Amino acid sequence: MNGSVGRDDGPPAVHQFVPALIPRDATGSHTLLLRDALRAAGWRSEVYAEATHDELRGESQPIERYAATARPGDVLVYQFSTSSMVADYLLGRPERLVLDYHNVTRPELYGTWDPEGARRSDEAFEQLGRLAPRAVLGLADSAFNEEDLRRAGCRRTAVVPVLVDFHRLEVAPDQRVLRHLAAERQGADWLFVGRLVPSKAQHRLVEALWAYRRLYDPHARLHLVGPAPNAPYLAALRDFVDDLGLGGAVRLVGEVSDTALAAYYAAADVYVSLSVHEGFGVPLLESMSAGVPVVARRAGAVPATVAGAGLVLERDEPGYVAASVHRVLADPVLRTRMVAAGRVRADRHSLAGSAERAVAALATVVGAPPGRPLARVGAGVLPGGGR
Amino acid sequence: MAEDTRGNDDATTTVDAETTVDVAADLRRVMAEIDEEVRRRRASGDLPARVERELDELFLQHSPVAGHGGGLADALRMVDASAFIDPVVPVASDKSGGAVVKKGLRTLNLWYIGFVTHQVSRFATAVSRSLHLVDERLQSLERQLAAQRVPPAGVVEAPWAHGPGAWWVPVAADALAGAPGRVLHAASGDGWLVRALTGRGVDAYGIDLRPGVVARAELEGADLREEDLLEHLRAVAPLSLGGVVLSGVVDGMAPGERRQLLGLLSDRVAPEGVLVVHSLSRAVWMSDRAPLAADLAPGHPLRPASWASLLGSAGFEAAVPDPASADDYVVVAVHRPVHAHR
Repeated sequence: MNGSVGRDDGPPAVHQFVPALIPRDATGSHTLLLRDALRAAGWRSEVYAEATHDELRGESQPIERYAATARPGDVLVYQFSTSSMVADYLLGRPERLVLDYHNVTRPELYGTWDPEGARRSDEAFEQLGRLAPRAVLGLADSAFNEEDLRRAGCRRTAVVPVLVDFHRLEVAPDQRVLRHLAAERQGADWLFVGRLVPSKAQHRLVEALWAYRRLYDPHARLHLVGPAPNAPYLAALRDFVDDLGLGGAVRLVGEVSDTALAAYYAAADVYVSLSVHEGFGVPLLESMSAGVPVVARRAGAVPATVAGAGLVLERDEPGYVAASVHRVLADPVLRTRMVAAGRVRADRHSLAGSAERAVAALATVVGAPPGRPLARVGAGVLPGGGR
Repeated sequence: MAEDTRGNDDATTTVDAETTVDVAADLRRVMAEIDEEVRRRRASGDLPARVERELDELFLQHSPVAGHGGGLADALRMVDASAFIDPVVPVASDKSGGAVVKKGLRTLNLWYIGFVTHQVSRFATAVSRSLHLVDERLQSLERQLAAQRVPPAGVVEAPWAHGPGAWWVPVAADALAGAPGRVLHAASGDGWLVRALTGRGVDAYGIDLRPGVVARAELEGADLREEDLLEHLRAVAPLSLGGVVLSGVVDGMAPGERRQLLGLLSDRVAPEGVLVVHSLSRAVWMSDRAPLAADLAPGHPLRPASWASLLGSAGFEAAVPDPASADDYVVVAVHRPVHAHR
């Protein structure tokens, strides 16, 4: 096997590199869950990060420290989702490289809202183009993302679902949030979870809600959960909501704890996504796991993630989206079927199953794992799935 | 290895231990009923397509400069207005003695802050000056380009070829009968073909950019939009169209525009999707029977065999049904891409 280690080196090592380790972030959560899976398989595994959020201090080491502990036969997994100096660092390392690709938002989707974001995106694709031919394996969490890897020059690729711990949302929902949502509720509650950025198209959701209230339910509300990293878009969204007279109906909730998020899922009647770009779409699965029917625009990996368990819309005109949501909410048979199919779909993405696939894919590079059972995967400190 | 990418096409999903539901078939039926509901709502005037477009325009008013056509000049005015960094910070305060404290701090720090802001202002002014130079050069280039620009082809329609009684309409309708998704008609005019197709059970909609045409027609309930063909194709999802009918739009198209159109059709039409291209013949184009718009068009009609060849290069298998006259023709093509798309 390529990369065999010396007799005294202990088990093989599969270390991960990530630009930033952030709690409640899809890549950050995936990285820590994968580390637990690799360790459970019997491999040594550490996380090296350029920056680490205070909440996760102790979960990673600075990247510069790796060189001192490097051994022949190490496999380095780069969690790639943005441009970073980590790319240049890894290009200069002799160890075998695996790219775990989580998608990069296309530069054109930033438009005039975020020129700096567009520049970073350009840089990320340039880095992907240099890393991909060097990688012995490319992992992608969707077939959509796998296509990016192939285009960039990755010779061997595999689709391995992003590791998501749905159990973290099986906590008791935040009662304060639940009470607050119930107290003012008079109509249907729509939910979307994700960063407030133009590519997630929250403004299209606002338009669809406006149409829905006009046509079907004047008391419906839309809850937008997620951080707002793009100040111009946030400001435009607020002004737009005011223009449409939806000030009390559209709630810009911001980033919330897991217990609060569980409350939003518990209270939601429908999860609606009109995002124009999704590399995977973790909240789609979270919704299905929580028994919330999904209505989502066909974009990127959305059809593969939903996989027939929700309504995938070909268009996003407000009236069409409103009619689709109305159908889901007004047809109890359809709703029951969607909820049931959604739970089946989410179950297929069990953490243990996804972790097993990740380990199996990496074993093609590292060699067979020493054989410890995978059941303990996820038993470590899991800071929440990402959006 | 790869995940299922078929979206709503999962064959079956086991919902519980006893029930296996054909979810895919169920969802297809539901989506068709939703389409019908939208058509009904639009026809009743509950939510005209025009109102939906106005929503988009309203949001764009809030987008950053240039997001809705503000242009470089507006952006430069913002740069100019922000280029000077004022080191003399305001000292007003609501608290007693606050203004005095702030003023003291400002006086103490002004020599330092002033030095830094002077350099920042100088840098910003240099950047602004550079941008103005770029702007001047761009304007000069744009003036030169405008003189040489090839205008997009307008719609060229002849009453005898573009109406429900035209010989090729049943040919198109038969070809589109089993289209795997929605069918787009451009240029749709007052919706004459959309209504003919819808009447035969084809889920069709139309676009037409000519001023006022759609606004007048949508009152009759057809799903019509006032959009440019290429812009519309760029906006729809890959492989999402079950069929496309082009009539009156390709006849006078310039080569560059035609190349873009073929690329977009190849990307947007689903596998096994049907493309119907209608064109006037060259003979008619050169005769007195040609519409006046033909004289102003940047291009001229291709021969049917040329279309078949072009479409073949774009992943379509094309056939040319026998035309009923020498005045016009249709090419019917089925999308059979060699390589799988995303």
